[in-house]
Amino acid sequence: MNWSALRLSDPTLPVWVSAALLLVFLMLFPLAAIFRTSLWDEHGLSLSRYVEVFSNEQFLKAIWNTLIISIWVGVISVVVGALFAWLVTRTDLPWKKVIRALVMASFVTPPFLGAFAWTLLAGPNAGSLNKLYRAITGAENALFNIFSMPGLIFVMALYSFPFVFAMIANVCELISSDLEDAAEILGANKWRIAVTVTLPLALPALLSGFILAFLQSLSLFGAPAILGLPAGLHTITTQIWALFQYPPRLDMAAAFSVPLLLATMGLIAVQKRMLGRKGFSTVGGKGGQRRMINLGRGRMAALTFVLAILSLSVFLPYWILLKAALSQAWALPLTWDNFTLKNFSFAFFEYGDTQLAIYNTFKLGILTATIGTFLATLIAYITNRNLFIGARYLTFFALAPLVIPGIVLAVGLFIAYTRPPLVLYGTIWIMFVAFLTKEMPIGFSQAESTFKSIHPELEDASRILGANRLLSLKQVTAPLARSGLIAAWSFIFIGVIRELSAAILLFAPQSKVVSVVIFDLKEEGQVGVIAVLGILLLLVSFAVILTVHWLGGRDVMGTRE
Amino acid sequence: MAIVSIRALTKRFADTAAVNDLDLEIGDGEFVSLLGPSGCGKTTTLRLLAGFLQPDAGEIRVAGDVISSANLLVPPERRNMSMIFQSYAVWPHMTVAQNVAYGLKFKRLSRHEVEQKLAKLLGVVHLAELKDRYPAELSGGQQQRVALARALVVEPHILLMDEPLSNLDANLREEMRFEIRRLHEEFKITTVYVTHDQAEAMATSDRIAVIDRGRMVQVGKPGEIFDRPKTRFVAEFVGKANILIGSYDGHGVLQLKDGTKIRVSADGASAGTTQVAVCLRPHNVVLVADDIEARKLADQNYNIFRGTIRRSIYFGDSVDYMLDLSSEGMLRVVAPPNELFAPGQQIYAAARPDACVIVRD
Repeated sequence: MNWSALRLSDPTLPVWVSAALLLVFLMLFPLAAIFRTSLWDEHGLSLSRYVEVFSNEQFLKAIWNTLIISIWVGVISVVVGALFAWLVTRTDLPWKKVIRALVMASFVTPPFLGAFAWTLLAGPNAGSLNKLYRAITGAENALFNIFSMPGLIFVMALYSFPFVFAMIANVCELISSDLEDAAEILGANKWRIAVTVTLPLALPALLSGFILAFLQSLSLFGAPAILGLPAGLHTITTQIWALFQYPPRLDMAAAFSVPLLLATMGLIAVQKRMLGRKGFSTVGGKGGQRRMINLGRGRMAALTFVLAILSLSVFLPYWILLKAALSQAWALPLTWDNFTLKNFSFAFFEYGDTQLAIYNTFKLGILTATIGTFLATLIAYITNRNLFIGARYLTFFALAPLVIPGIVLAVGLFIAYTRPPLVLYGTIWIMFVAFLTKEMPIGFSQAESTFKSIHPELEDASRILGANRLLSLKQVTAPLARSGLIAAWSFIFIGVIRELSAAILLFAPQSKVVSVVIFDLKEEGQVGVIAVLGILLLLVSFAVILTVHWLGGRDVMGTRE
Repeated sequence: MAIVSIRALTKRFADTAAVNDLDLEIGDGEFVSLLGPSGCGKTTTLRLLAGFLQPDAGEIRVAGDVISSANLLVPPERRNMSMIFQSYAVWPHMTVAQNVAYGLKFKRLSRHEVEQKLAKLLGVVHLAELKDRYPAELSGGQQQRVALARALVVEPHILLMDEPLSNLDANLREEMRFEIRRLHEEFKITTVYVTHDQAEAMATSDRIAVIDRGRMVQVGKPGEIFDRPKTRFVAEFVGKANILIGSYDGHGVLQLKDGTKIRVSADGASAGTTQVAVCLRPHNVVLVADDIEARKLADQNYNIFRGTIRRSIYFGDSVDYMLDLSSEGMLRVVAPPNELFAPGQQIYAAARPDACVIVRD
């Protein structure tokens, strides 16, 4: 089909074209703002800011820190994530369902919340684990100082490995035992099979898992800010944030964003190539039978290892948050004397910012999820049905935010929407635009895979019987896509309520959200209130996930049982 | 009177023409099959007819009005057509009754009329009992009937069918062929039917249009297509065919490579000494072992070949032989099983001149 065809015949064309234009605008406007601000000054085109950024020792140090941290987080995440994935999908490890659920819990936990919990667990003075260590050994020093580079790497890896797990578990489930059997029949022993068949098959997934975790830590703001800044440790994201503090240097922030943007783009391109390679796609066929490898005596050891890691990412942080929420002094044991519900009443009814923040958060979550799902659905439909020439390029725009770290997006949006013609700064709408943009990839890929599973002839059948395209969408396609679209809605919603890195640059006093309030409260040392708000975020996220699971039988980790 | 008229229709995907300069006239109430191998452009032609695709050149008219051309496209929903899809495309979230009644929603009918039409059609396709079931609870054949009822209930001017039986198993497919023909006799809706199965086309159609690589190669009644193929492609695609090559004298006699002369059906074919191909259907060959029988047939103007049986396969209702004609290669023969010949046996093969049809190579 071509443009003229649609123009003459299809009354629904304006809907598709406006959705496409809106998407392109959403993506290009902030990026254009970044490049313009970083390259132009009152004298015209100039590279002076880039020179300034790359000759400033502090900035270079931040880049260096980020690289070190991200490489370590990538390596640790791949090792732990791949091991978990292999254990859960290919061996007779007990309690697999529970383990999957717990990995999902670490997946859902906002890293800034995990980082905050770990300040309570392993802060050098009052950290519970350090106190325990001192009590047991009588030592003077702390066992572990979380406010350090290793501490930061440790916490970031805890909340990055679930991404790698989800990805590799999918691949492991697709490598059928047949492939390994074939090698065994040809006379290879177990070790040889692992090295010559299984590992090469999984290698692209391992490498791209590394990239995933690397990117994740490259763009995180909350954890480095909470754990790194007290130790005087800057990363790229915290440095960009610092450039926004008084006196703001937007031009410098923009220039500093560009290398982060380019690095992300490059890595995603590498990852895409690796996943698109032929050797990997042969794994993509839903393979034959999988036999579970018998771990024998190692079974309990493996379970202990898995539970130990999960206690670091889930049990200990959740326990300390719960304790902090329910006690008057979080560092003291939780006795009847120390027990209180005051933190809850204070958080919900007394503390000035929280009510508004909770209201803003859920308002933004629902708005973004609803409009985002709608837009993502329209765009996925256009690309899937190839409605007009160039439709497939929309995929590129819809997935573009994957390569834009949240804080970079926020820099772009801040610059773009603080001046006419569109002044959104100071309202929640600038955050709405930020979240809508940032969550578009997840909504789009969910909607896209949903449409792929619906045969186009189902819709053709409706059209030929007299329904136009929009009506056919409403009557046939939408009901069939329902559970997929509900999942898209929930992913966006959860993504929004835990967002910090974009919100931290875009909020104004009247448009604070919960994550920002938590960040602020940390400065005031309001541990109990933070814990209450964190638990609220977690509970809402879990409730949404369970609802999706119950409605559509979908596994949020994207893996099959 | 032609109700559908397709002229010089062309549709390109990337650089290849899926449909190339195709012409076809379809009469009112006629059942026409588009027959061809997969990828020949028959489904594209059907989707062009339905309005899901727009032609790059040429036009489609219905009752004189242009509905598709390079710069005009009446959308599918305003064409008054119905279509039956290869995947059935029965909506899984609607019951049988909701599926069938769907098209009536756009017809401004009273509730009573809708009920009446629905009941009638469900009766016609024997689904009245199952009307509250969901498609997942139906067999493939029943889903196919739902698709049929859904397409017919709106009383379309034109019914399009895209390989509707290809997902059914062999027995059911045969049964549904008759069913489709029966429904056509009952409703007399102008129908275009796409298939790659010649038996299906034969059983259902008034006329068959054979398509090869986007071009129309022959249109005619099933008997014409089968007995009088115009090209070697049609001869070989529609049924089994032996192809003999020789030079033609222009007066009904073909000289084979080994010098044997056979009488052929000319049908106004081009004269000349050029190489021509002749189609001889395996079931049009009579096998006789006896010299006297063979001479009798020769006196009756039959063409006589001599050969050795190389292979025989017994099918119960027929026997499939492969004959070695030495210099002319192999000849395939399908004979009734009343007399059996063994491999190695010397034999005569006889064919009437009008069964030897000159085809364009």
